Amino acid sequence: MSGPLSPGDVIQERYKIVNQVGEGGMQFVYEAEDLILKRTVALKMPKNDSAKKRFQRSAIVAARVNHPNIAKTLDYLQEKECQYLIEEFIEGKDLDKAILKKAKYLDPYLVARIFNYLAKGLAASHHAGVIHRDLKPTNVMVVDAFQLNAIKITDFGIAKMAEEELAAAAEGGSATLFDSHTAVGALPYMSPEAINTPKDVSYPTDVWSLGAMMYELLTGDQPYGYGLKAVGKIQEAQPPMFPSFLSSNPQFAPLADHLKDIILQCLRKDPSSRPTADSLVAQGGNLCYSIAPRHIGVVSRVFFKAYGFIDVDGVGVFFNYDSVYGEKPVAGDKVMLSKFPGGGADRAHPVVKLQ
Amino acid sequence: MLARIIMVKLPKRYTQLACPTSGGFGDVICCNDNHLDRKVAIKVIKDIKEEHRLRDELVALLQMRSKHVVQVYDIVTLDAGSFGIVEEFVDGGDLWNSDVPRQSPDTYLSILWQIASGIADIHAAGLIHRDIKPTNMKLDGERIVKIFDFGLARKGGADAATKGFIGTYGFAAPELYGSGKVSFTNAIDTYAFGATAFFLKCRDLPPELQKRPPQSVTSGVFSSAPISIPHDLAVLLERCLAHNFMDRPSMATVRDELARHLHRDKHQALAVHSGKPYLFNSTNRSAVLDFPKVGMVEITYDGLKFFVSQTSGEVYINNSPACSGMEIPGSCVVALGGAHRKSNEREFITFDVSNPEVVL
Repeated sequence: MSGPLSPGDVIQERYKIVNQVGEGGMQFVYEAEDLILKRTVALKMPKNDSAKKRFQRSAIVAARVNHPNIAKTLDYLQEKECQYLIEEFIEGKDLDKAILKKAKYLDPYLVARIFNYLAKGLAASHHAGVIHRDLKPTNVMVVDAFQLNAIKITDFGIAKMAEEELAAAAEGGSATLFDSHTAVGALPYMSPEAINTPKDVSYPTDVWSLGAMMYELLTGDQPYGYGLKAVGKIQEAQPPMFPSFLSSNPQFAPLADHLKDIILQCLRKDPSSRPTADSLVAQGGNLCYSIAPRHIGVVSRVFFKAYGFIDVDGVGVFFNYDSVYGEKPVAGDKVMLSKFPGGGADRAHPVVKLQ
Repeated sequence: MLARIIMVKLPKRYTQLACPTSGGFGDVICCNDNHLDRKVAIKVIKDIKEEHRLRDELVALLQMRSKHVVQVYDIVTLDAGSFGIVEEFVDGGDLWNSDVPRQSPDTYLSILWQIASGIADIHAAGLIHRDIKPTNMKLDGERIVKIFDFGLARKGGADAATKGFIGTYGFAAPELYGSGKVSFTNAIDTYAFGATAFFLKCRDLPPELQKRPPQSVTSGVFSSAPISIPHDLAVLLERCLAHNFMDRPSMATVRDELARHLHRDKHQALAVHSGKPYLFNSTNRSAVLDFPKVGMVEITYDGLKFFVSQTSGEVYINNSPACSGMEIPGSCVVALGGAHRKSNEREFITFDVSNPEVVL
């Protein structure tokens, strides 16, 4: 379904539509040009009646949060029956498209970095009294994919609207739950209380969702799976198991173990025993990780199932299987890596296989 | 003090919340944006003739993305031949009276780093702030430094020249004290940053800066109490106050050096040998890798980097022969024993250096 606006449309003589860039369960998202201030902005429009009802209220909530890791609200306007929210335009893709569709999982360095930024953004929003309620990979925008030049939580506004739909869906039981497009996307990241007693949703709900996202980034799977089965498992909230590859490589084990510990704290069943966003920020401040630039390459040769070379823009980079997080790539596989000067060829570390 | 009477009529969207205060280039009115129900600061530019000239510079400012520069939301036309710049409202006091920078050396450096990052962003966008000083910076609720009050309404612009003195005494660079046409570069911001750095540390300016025009500062001006900072940083900050603008460092250099020092003693190196991890950091600073009769290397952490402090025999770091003083790259393999040896006569140790990221 495409939205009601087309390229070239101008809203209130000011915002000229360039393109439709997204469509969530609740809203259409466009890239637009602000003709007065000559800058690119994101223009959002509610998609259905329940969204329309709360659109301004949600814009106001989003506008209260001001942080580098939160998408900035710039303007809100109404014209006849139509409502528009203007946000800073983030030149990038959401976490799902930018990262999870490309890599099954990420090395602990990159996960720690994403965790750090999101915890900061979440803390700022909680300080402003704003609960996101619907934190999930499609509500996180990433600039420059694996380089993470910016990472911003978005759609705060939409959260409360989504909550109503989610609550209605949850109360109607699993059948209703799966009729709701919004619910299906949000479910793997929903906390037990968001499913059982949506009225009790508060700050710890966001902490749970952040933990569930970090679990997925580190392991490649959602902690309680997806679909119908996830509902019961989330309600039980047994601490999830972690695949063995996280700890089997001593080069990654110390940081991976640290992250596992943080994730398990976030996924505690009792909301009051989860850490606050501030506590997560403090824990994130102690994580050591490399921020060296990331590159994409293709494995050209592997010797003795132990080491080999990766072609990065036509230049061979040496790599050892000890530097690989997760599944070992073979010749022809696409990989993501950082590289460091070696005598002769550069040396890759870490290396993660891409899809 | 007499209450001022506001001559401007605000658009309906905004409700005035407080009496205007005098800002860098006009009055500033704190308002509520009724559409988004949040506080904004509206700067009133009194001379509508300035609008056209200012708009280009404003557009450049609007396109700049910096965590450390106050966000501009909008430009509104007011009546009585004036216009307003609608900006994010930063709650809290400015850095002139703030005690925060003096809480600890780390806090001081973190604030300087944020200010330097903001000015470097401004310079990278081809702009010059022209009025850097502690009263033009605030710490927001999340402890993020925000720079505001660009010297936009000053005569100048693209050719960066003014008639006579502009700026603030004590923070203005010597080259701004001329008569007639005064030319300057973005190094005036670097000078003002140096003065700001000193002020935030000592709550005063060095006597040389209190002269008009300012005189060269005496060497070692940043080495005095109350906050002790590493010697090489003190030297760098002093260079920001160099009399000749050519001798001042770029703000990007200042930013990067401050970042390096923010990580002092916070790095760690993870060494793995035969599947066993070993951690080195500020409490365990030195690693000796010794394969008797083949090669030995001692790697030491000096708080900023891991480097080879001693070596003998056949030692290779990422295939290059190790030598004393060599810095360990972010990730490497140390080989004891040359490539001519059999594999059971060689030992390999991986070394990964990392540190916590300063996240705002």
